[in-house]
Amino acid sequence: MNVISNDSIKCSQALSDLYNVYDPEIGLNVVDLGLIYQIDFDEEAKRIDAEMTLTTQFCPMGESITGNVTKSLTNNFPEWEVHVNLTFEPPWDYSKISPEGQEFLGR
Amino acid sequence: MFALQSNNGIQQTTSYKVVLPFYVFAAFSFLVATILLLIHSGIIHQHYFQPYTLAITHIMALGWGTMIILGASHQLLPVLIEGKLDSNFLAYLTFAFTATGIPFLALSFYEFNTGWPMQTGAILINLGVICYLTNVISSIYESKKHDVHAWYMAAASIWLFSTTFFGLLLVFNFKHNVLPQNSISYLSIHAHLGLIGWFLMLIIGVASRLIPMFLISKYTNDRNLWWIFILINSSLISFILLRVFGASTFLYYFPLMLSFLAILLFGNHCRNAYKVRIRKAVDEQMKMSLLSVGQMLLPFVALLLVLALLPTGKFPQLPILYGFCIFFGWITAIIFGMTFKTLPFIVWNKVYRDRANRGKTPVPKELFSEIIYKGMAITYIAGFLVFALGIVLLNDILLKLGAACLLVAAILYVYNAGITLFHQPKKP
Repeated sequence: MNVISNDSIKCSQALSDLYNVYDPEIGLNVVDLGLIYQIDFDEEAKRIDAEMTLTTQFCPMGESITGNVTKSLTNNFPEWEVHVNLTFEPPWDYSKISPEGQEFLGR
Repeated sequence: MFALQSNNGIQQTTSYKVVLPFYVFAAFSFLVATILLLIHSGIIHQHYFQPYTLAITHIMALGWGTMIILGASHQLLPVLIEGKLDSNFLAYLTFAFTATGIPFLALSFYEFNTGWPMQTGAILINLGVICYLTNVISSIYESKKHDVHAWYMAAASIWLFSTTFFGLLLVFNFKHNVLPQNSISYLSIHAHLGLIGWFLMLIIGVASRLIPMFLISKYTNDRNLWWIFILINSSLISFILLRVFGASTFLYYFPLMLSFLAILLFGNHCRNAYKVRIRKAVDEQMKMSLLSVGQMLLPFVALLLVLALLPTGKFPQLPILYGFCIFFGWITAIIFGMTFKTLPFIVWNKVYRDRANRGKTPVPKELFSEIIYKGMAITYIAGFLVFALGIVLLNDILLKLGAACLLVAAILYVYNAGITLFHQPKKP
């Protein structure tokens, strides 16, 4: 798990909740799955910009997963404006799964 | 009409309203086919060009196999080509035409009425397939990615149209001389356009992506998939040419071997994906899907026997065994496996997509009964083996027993699909 952020403390706080957002098919949370690339916090504008990906573009669960990520961040930071953006650069691959995630999957 | 792109960059997938009617129609078709198989299990003693056999075959091929594949492919096409489905409207039209045409055609075969009801059914099915073909080709054209999976989808759709259009000619040929010979002479071409061109091409194209995806396997081998693509097309085209030019029996081993090699390569593709999978636990649906890969070889054994024994007249039931292994074996097994991988997702998305963070939601695999699924799998495998044995031994008791098991499997399938389709969230 290598999430880039300009505020490591707030990022940890955000991730603690994102561990409860799951990919429904795989049964693994989005953080250990390596779907979250970056979370930046703009203190002045009270704005969060999160960048994430999906295991595959046009993933049938894509809307649900990004919706859950947005709601998780909004719940965790109620005073902040949350923007979740999808990117497929770099595309997700299996190497992005954390060691904990790989252990969960039985590897 | 078109899939939408939301403001955070995510492309919305095909609406459940497009997909679910196909699943419902297919489930009831399978139930009807197994009921007819139980009632008319004695057809095994007769030639395969027989009204009840033709009715059951077309219910299985069109109502069951094709309808569920049409439904699933509307959902999966965006995943495969990484682009949106071009038109929901065309998808609705596909369903409307095919769902009206298939009962007309099946009932006409059952009563062997070769007049206007059969012709109407064939025309409606062709209109539905034209809508589907247009939608697939335009979706692929509009998408950015034209990889091997897109080629499989495009080729399979073209072969499907070739099958149904040729079928339309055969139907009209019953009453009017639109072809040089009688319709029975062309049955093997019509059948293999559908079996190899449509079912084999599409199932391999889709499964080669889905099986590694569901196993969470990093294995990909596009080169292998291209070889399979070439082998399947070469096999089908060479078979048609041999039939048209009336070649000797010996030459038919050539297309047979090409298809056999394609299936071996596909089996190896699945085996490699399985070996390097990241998720070690394999669920029941994936086990059934992997079983279907093995079942792909059974029709080839039957076909080899057909080529070896049929000219000598030693075992005339072999073509029926061949068809049974395909429709009630391989195609049914992959549908059993993939229905309960895809349907719970579609329903989950419909029910829980907007309920995120409103309390714990079940995962898709909790939207159907695993116990019923296991019961269905056991009765299906038992029914398949007993009925196949009944064909080989020409034993009426085994045929009835096998058909009864298959009917129980169909009832459990419909019931379990119903549990998923009518799933409601628990009230807090």
